[in-house]
Amino acid sequence: ENWRGWNIHVDGYPNTVAMDKFAELLAEKTGGEITLQMFHGGTLGSQPDAIEQVRLGGLEVGNFNLGPIGPIAPEANVVSLPFIFKDVPHMFRVLNGEGGEMISAGMEAKGLIPLAWYDAGARSFYNGGKPINTPADVAGMKVRVMNNDLYSGMIAELGGNPSPMAFAEVYQALKTGVVDGAENNWPSYESTGHFEVAGYYSLSQHLIIPECLCINADSYNGLSDEMKAAVKEAAMESAELQHSLWAEREEASRAKVESGGVVTNEIADKAPFQAAMGPVYEGYLSSNPDLRPLVELIQATD
Amino acid sequence: MSNQSLPNDAPSWLRQMDRVLDAIAALCRGITGTSLVFLTVIFGWLVFGRYVLNATPTWVEQAALLLVMVIAFLGAAVGIHENTHLSVTLLRTSSPPRFKTLLIVLTDLILAGFGGLMLWYGAQLTMFKWGSMIPLIHLPEGLRSLPLTIGGGLVMLFSLGHLIRLWVGVDTRKDSFD
Amino acid sequence: MGLLVLLGLFALCVVIGVPVAFALGVSAIAAFWFEGLPLMIGFQRIISGINVFSLMAIPFFIFAGELMFHGGIAMRLVRFASAAVGAVRGGLGIVNVFSSMLFGGISGSAVADISALGSILVPVMKEKGYDADYAVNVTVTSSIAGIIIPPSHNMIIFAIAAGGGISISKLFLAGVVPGILMCVCLAVAAYLVAVKRGYKAEKFPGWTALALTFASAIPGLMTAVIIVGGVLSGVFTVTESGAFGAIYAFVVTLLVYRNITWANFKLAVGQAVRTTAMVMILIACAGAFAYMLTFYQVPAKTVTLLTGLTDNPILILLMINAALLILGMIMDMAALILICTPIFLPVANSLGIDPLQFGMILLVNLGLGLCTPPVGSCLFVGCAVGKLPMEQAVRTIWPFYAAIFVALMMITFIPAISMTLPNMLQ
Ligand code: NA
Ligand code: NA
Repeated sequence: ENWRGWNIHVDGYPNTVAMDKFAELLAEKTGGEITLQMFHGGTLGSQPDAIEQVRLGGLEVGNFNLGPIGPIAPEANVVSLPFIFKDVPHMFRVLNGEGGEMISAGMEAKGLIPLAWYDAGARSFYNGGKPINTPADVAGMKVRVMNNDLYSGMIAELGGNPSPMAFAEVYQALKTGVVDGAENNWPSYESTGHFEVAGYYSLSQHLIIPECLCINADSYNGLSDEMKAAVKEAAMESAELQHSLWAEREEASRAKVESGGVVTNEIADKAPFQAAMGPVYEGYLSSNPDLRPLVELIQATD
Repeated sequence: MSNQSLPNDAPSWLRQMDRVLDAIAALCRGITGTSLVFLTVIFGWLVFGRYVLNATPTWVEQAALLLVMVIAFLGAAVGIHENTHLSVTLLRTSSPPRFKTLLIVLTDLILAGFGGLMLWYGAQLTMFKWGSMIPLIHLPEGLRSLPLTIGGGLVMLFSLGHLIRLWVGVDTRKDSFD
Repeated sequence: MGLLVLLGLFALCVVIGVPVAFALGVSAIAAFWFEGLPLMIGFQRIISGINVFSLMAIPFFIFAGELMFHGGIAMRLVRFASAAVGAVRGGLGIVNVFSSMLFGGISGSAVADISALGSILVPVMKEKGYDADYAVNVTVTSSIAGIIIPPSHNMIIFAIAAGGGISISKLFLAGVVPGILMCVCLAVAAYLVAVKRGYKAEKFPGWTALALTFASAIPGLMTAVIIVGGVLSGVFTVTESGAFGAIYAFVVTLLVYRNITWANFKLAVGQAVRTTAMVMILIACAGAFAYMLTFYQVPAKTVTLLTGLTDNPILILLMINAALLILGMIMDMAALILICTPIFLPVANSLGIDPLQFGMILLVNLGLGLCTPPVGSCLFVGCAVGKLPMEQAVRTIWPFYAAIFVALMMITFIPAISMTLPNMLQ
């Protein structure tokens, strides 16, 4: 069988290397019965489109962020709740436990099976004016967010002005001041050049959204148990590689932007930020009441 | 209007058909024109909101993308009716009359078939995505493919209209007959 | 085999006279079917082709152009422009090129440039007796300045595709001289073609007449001021500026010139919608077509084929240019930047070409592709606003392609053109 895979990242990025490794391991472990041709750089469509393509069976696998899976599987949207994870290790403890199973089940019902979880670090705020230490620093600030009600709700609750904007327009918008700030992880902050025009990076770590190596449910369920095991094993090994490459990349990006003059600050007390998120959580739970146990499970996980 | 008016001796059912197709095209023009004006106004509102109210209307971006779908696909169907699409007519204009008619019939058949596929698969796509919501505007994701679906149906309709006129020998497109 | 279905069916449909947009769609869907891919995905690609925010500039600028035309702003601009430059042969052609240079310095997008300037300048040039094909050719080719002269979304895409090692500020600086160079080459071509066609020069009407036409054109010229000022001061993005252009043109024609009637307004809206739909359906269907080209790995295979032919550095550079030109003809820009950068950049690096200079080579090549048949968004918009069949525009566009080609060769073989400004930054 010849499978096709989608990945948004460019050559040399940790996820790209790891997906190529997955392809290599897949051929190796299945004795060449399954080969995978990867299409990197998002050349087969945007992320929401590629998710749809995997669900419809046009592609077999993809490396997706859970953010854009949220509108399809509400269980997956739980990771988009601001400040739900304490840090990246906490997020992995949840995903490798019962919480991960609940999210997987929600995704499988929509035709997607996550084989392994990739690391995408934590997203923090950056802007061109001043370090952010308290919600008051965000007040009145125009912040570019991705298209998700939870993200725009987060900025609004902090007193800022959430401004959805096409990704390609953000650099110029930061430069001219159409928006004051945006938010992302270290590698994206660096590779998009946003650090050149927004030099204050404040470690809010408000969103810790994992990525998955996903497969079309029919393709996976149609395999023999032996093949399933091989595919799963290849995915787990590629994830291991991704995690270590990601850690290196985060360090390298951080070093690069800091040597480029970026001012970084830790936020001593995140409690006021978390406290402000009450209405965001309530809104989410009132439209998905059956997901309250999942949210509570995550909050109770150590 | 599918160009000039029909000759006086055209059968009355054909006139009827023509009136219906023209009315549909006029309705589409109304919808797409209103969409364009609305699109422009909501962008003005976007900037006003961001600067004057300090509250950016977050629904504008997604709503705008939907409006562009309406303009593109309904407008494209009207373009079939009015024969305004960009095409290469070199072979057609230099062919003898019978071969030329063959080319035109073939073109209309291809367009009608493609319009039918747009309608069918567009409808499937619309149903497939109806359950999930477009972020920030709380409308079904399926709406994004609805204009393609409707536009496809209209492309089929208008091309069949062309064929019927050609069949009874009263086609009024500039280059149909010599 | 599948590739043959895709390209063969496309060619066949075009030749028998199926509108180009539908020829792209039909052949792409046939290839989806041939490969056993779900056809729903084919139609998803058609929708996604225009589910792109930056394309919003097209309806806005076209609408603004129609309002200016039907509301009398354009006419006053013509009088002023021909008073100012009518004494030079091909004067409006040259003005057109340099307007793109300035507008490119604001919009960063070739499609925004051609939608904005084409909608205004093509009708104006036609009215002053220039042939439609000349007007369209000049406007289409000079719109590439939008990509090369900073700012430019496509440069940002290139920087990301290159793996993030490139400073976007430096990349922007690198584009300034190549962009100006390209415009100078195009201006020369515009002049020479005008002379060859025997466009007459008008007599200079005198300074008083110039001042009078200028005064009556001021409210119209303010459109440009508002767009430029609004973008540079960060009040709005380029896309938003298009909407403001339309709103402003409406207000001026309603309140100042009092030319806009309900009938005029409906006419402007109707024409804008028609042009927008023609262009958008082309771009939409080209999206499905490009998906199948990527699926068949056409870009990668073209590259291997051409660069495998030689190991002479100069020839390799020429081969890279050739590959990019060919690919640019059949696919649109953003996808090609993402696909070609990782393949070509290491090759170029090994030849001692700086990534900044390589970026310029890549962008000019792909920019030229935007102006060529069968798939070129700028050519689509140009023909739509000029109401000109594509084959007629392309028949006489060669001198302008040649001008860009000359600039391209200089940019490829003279590193200093791209590198001098960014090197000064250090
Ligand atoms: Na121009
Ligand atoms: Na092209």
